[in-house]
Amino acid sequence: MKTPFLTGLVLAALAFQPAARAASLLDGYADAARAADAGFAGFSAGRGRALFAATPGTGKPDTPSCTTCHTADPRAAGRTRAGKAIAPMALSVSPDRYADPAKVEKWFRRNCNSVLGRACTAREKGDFIRFMATQ
Amino acid sequence: MTDQPNAPAGAQTVWDLPLRLFHWIAVSAVAVSLVTGYLLGDHWLFLHVAAGGVLGGLLAFRLAWGVIGSRYSRFATFPLRPSGVRRQIGHLMRGRSDLHTGHNPVGAWMIVALLAGLGLLVATGLVVWGGQEHQGPLSAVIGYKLGHGVKEVHEVLAALLLTAVGIHVAGVVVETVVFRHPVVKAMVHGRKPVPGSGETARTVGLTHTVVGLGLMALAVGAWLYWFYLPRPAVAPVRTSQAYTRDCGDCHWAFHPSLRTAGTWRTMMAGLADHYGEDASLAPDRRDQVTAYLVAHAAETADTEASHEIGRRETASGRITDTRYWQRRHRQLSDQDFARPDVGSKMACNACHRDADTGRFDDDMIQPPKGVPA
Repeated sequence: MKTPFLTGLVLAALAFQPAARAASLLDGYADAARAADAGFAGFSAGRGRALFAATPGTGKPDTPSCTTCHTADPRAAGRTRAGKAIAPMALSVSPDRYADPAKVEKWFRRNCNSVLGRACTAREKGDFIRFMATQ
Repeated sequence: MTDQPNAPAGAQTVWDLPLRLFHWIAVSAVAVSLVTGYLLGDHWLFLHVAAGGVLGGLLAFRLAWGVIGSRYSRFATFPLRPSGVRRQIGHLMRGRSDLHTGHNPVGAWMIVALLAGLGLLVATGLVVWGGQEHQGPLSAVIGYKLGHGVKEVHEVLAALLLTAVGIHVAGVVVETVVFRHPVVKAMVHGRKPVPGSGETARTVGLTHTVVGLGLMALAVGAWLYWFYLPRPAVAPVRTSQAYTRDCGDCHWAFHPSLRTAGTWRTMMAGLADHYGEDASLAPDRRDQVTAYLVAHAAETADTEASHEIGRRETASGRITDTRYWQRRHRQLSDQDFARPDVGSKMACNACHRDADTGRFDDDMIQPPKGVPA
């Protein structure tokens, strides 16, 4: 467990509401990850970064990676294949990014299937958000 | 420009000021409608229509003036008898042209033809504008199909009018250059040398000027008021918020009238593989959006876009695969669509300011700077 980071997250949670909701979203994913794997030892920003940058080759050909649309820099705006701007993924740039659980779930459902060809696990989702919270 | 009390000997004011003004304003309006109609793109339609609006008012004035105007403005004085026309043509064949105080017989028939042609052009233009664009006084009563069909008539009439204008101008040139009759000057200052010496009675008075100008202003003003009176827009629904929320994150939420109900159903049933991406929705949201799209699909609308694009199904479901879409966007390059302020061929609203209403009016096209219209 990265205690200093968690402390930081709690402080950030006190500082703003959306981040607090992102934190509660993470709690939910942590519970689910623990239920799936008794050996779950917390989320990792490093694994999240790797997931974000990966090119698994198991998804749809037009969307080989998260970075296809979101760009390799989480702090930069992305662009959909249809040409619309996507707000940056990094929590520091888009503070209310992970505030609405239904929206987060909608996009994980769509995009994990598009890029990975399968649903993401709770651990992967948590890793991803943890990584974005560090950016 | 008004009557000259000290007109040169042998010259007489034959064309009253209102008639001369009518002539030159009509010339300008016809020039504008020919240029906008033949040479400029559809986004100049507003100017074409404005010229037609002015012409409509002018024609109303001219018809009244043909009854109550000064002597040579009145239709009753037009030398339209076939015998006169035959005589004039006979003279022309022998290289001779008599100066007439008012119109000469062939010229009088030309005025009749021009006025009739312009009247028909204004009338058919109103039908096209009302049906095809759903704008103007007839917007609510003429359907798209009728407007679209009458456009063909409007175009044939325009070609005939252009021919008539050409003959009219040629006749004026021949009169002026070959026979030295100052007919153009006469249409400017109103005075014409009087043939023979018998006729010197004044036919134009101050009353004509005052009444005529008032009548013209009234006719054009009333006509344009009627022409541009705000009318409830004939339009399909505005794009709904619920729909935009679910579909508008990745691409502009296409107006429901741009595809058929069948296409929408197929598309909404296949969201898990939506043009290469998973765009799935929660089942209740998917059903809500599908119901909205089907309820307002192309079949329910009467706009140009719903007829020419919406009702044309494509194998891919794509709007950009319709022939009409391709024809209307052929001036645009891939780079134009890739610009950051456009995004892609799916960003209808980047140039069509009324895209969310589904109307796609020609005069609502406003491309970003550097993109051809």
